[in-house]
Amino acid sequence: MCPSITTTMNLVRTAALTLALVALTASTAIAQSKDYGKALTLKDATPISSILKDPAAWDGKRVLVEGLIIEVCEERGCWIRIASDKAFESLRFKVDDGVMTFPQEAKGKTVLAEGVVKVKSLTREQAVAQAREVAKERGTLASFDPAKVKGPVTDVQLSGEGARVK
Amino acid sequence: MAEPVDDQRARRGSGPRWSWRRLSIVLHRDIGYLAVALTIAYGISGIAVNHIADWNPNYKISKRFTTIAPIALDSAPAMVDLAVARLALTEPPRSSYQPDPQTLQLFYGEQVYHVDLPSGKVMVESTVPRRVLHELNQLHLNEPKRVWTYVADL
Repeated sequence: MCPSITTTMNLVRTAALTLALVALTASTAIAQSKDYGKALTLKDATPISSILKDPAAWDGKRVLVEGLIIEVCEERGCWIRIASDKAFESLRFKVDDGVMTFPQEAKGKTVLAEGVVKVKSLTREQAVAQAREVAKERGTLASFDPAKVKGPVTDVQLSGEGARVK
Repeated sequence: MAEPVDDQRARRGSGPRWSWRRLSIVLHRDIGYLAVALTIAYGISGIAVNHIADWNPNYKISKRFTTIAPIALDSAPAMVDLAVARLALTEPPRSSYQPDPQTLQLFYGEQVYHVDLPSGKVMVESTVPRRVLHELNQLHLNEPKRVWTYVADL
């Protein structure tokens, strides 16, 4: 076979392999519903407002919550903020880096998220440090103003184990 | 004296169409292509991800600002309709949310509109995936999980 034809065929084969790999990842991104982390085990969702109303009562308990994703960690996709069923409230769903990576495209979609409620009392200094870290992940560190952070505060978040974005 | 390369190719081409030797050569070559492609992909992604503190290797995030007429506080659906009309958007949002009484967020796929209702100031946040690099990073960081975990281990 002519060497130039062989070279062309090799290039075509390489391109096809590359396209297949890209298509494999792209197909997971455009799927209508996508699962992250471990499979969901709970059937009934707990209203986020119930958890935020009495966090101490829920501390350490495994719950399933449902709500709109209103924010996604810009840096690593390692947390999402879920809107509560009650106005102006939300809950952060945090996962360990690399365990689940939420895409920015998830914003505005509904999620079923399962995890363990973690309640922490933060001093003002700790609250400032946490707010600074969140600002860094949001990409807004340049405009971060520690004076606007109130404290001490009670931080409530869900230590994430599994999620389904719809 | 060594046989010219063209003669070797011609001799290989005239042999039986299938043989273990031919299969071994083809597999060795194609797996080699894959290994080289993945090495390049992981190398590029590695550099990109190492500098995550300086830039976002997965998304181009931009913000632009505009102003519309202030929107009076009303029911959420009414405020959404008014904001959509004043922003001259052709489609309704995928969803909307109010983080506080003065702010309305409209979610449109890659764009989120943050509307300050009393002032009418709007921040349009656009998040666009970096084509190819985003996919390479997904492979590098093993986001597909499952079978890819074992491929990535290799």
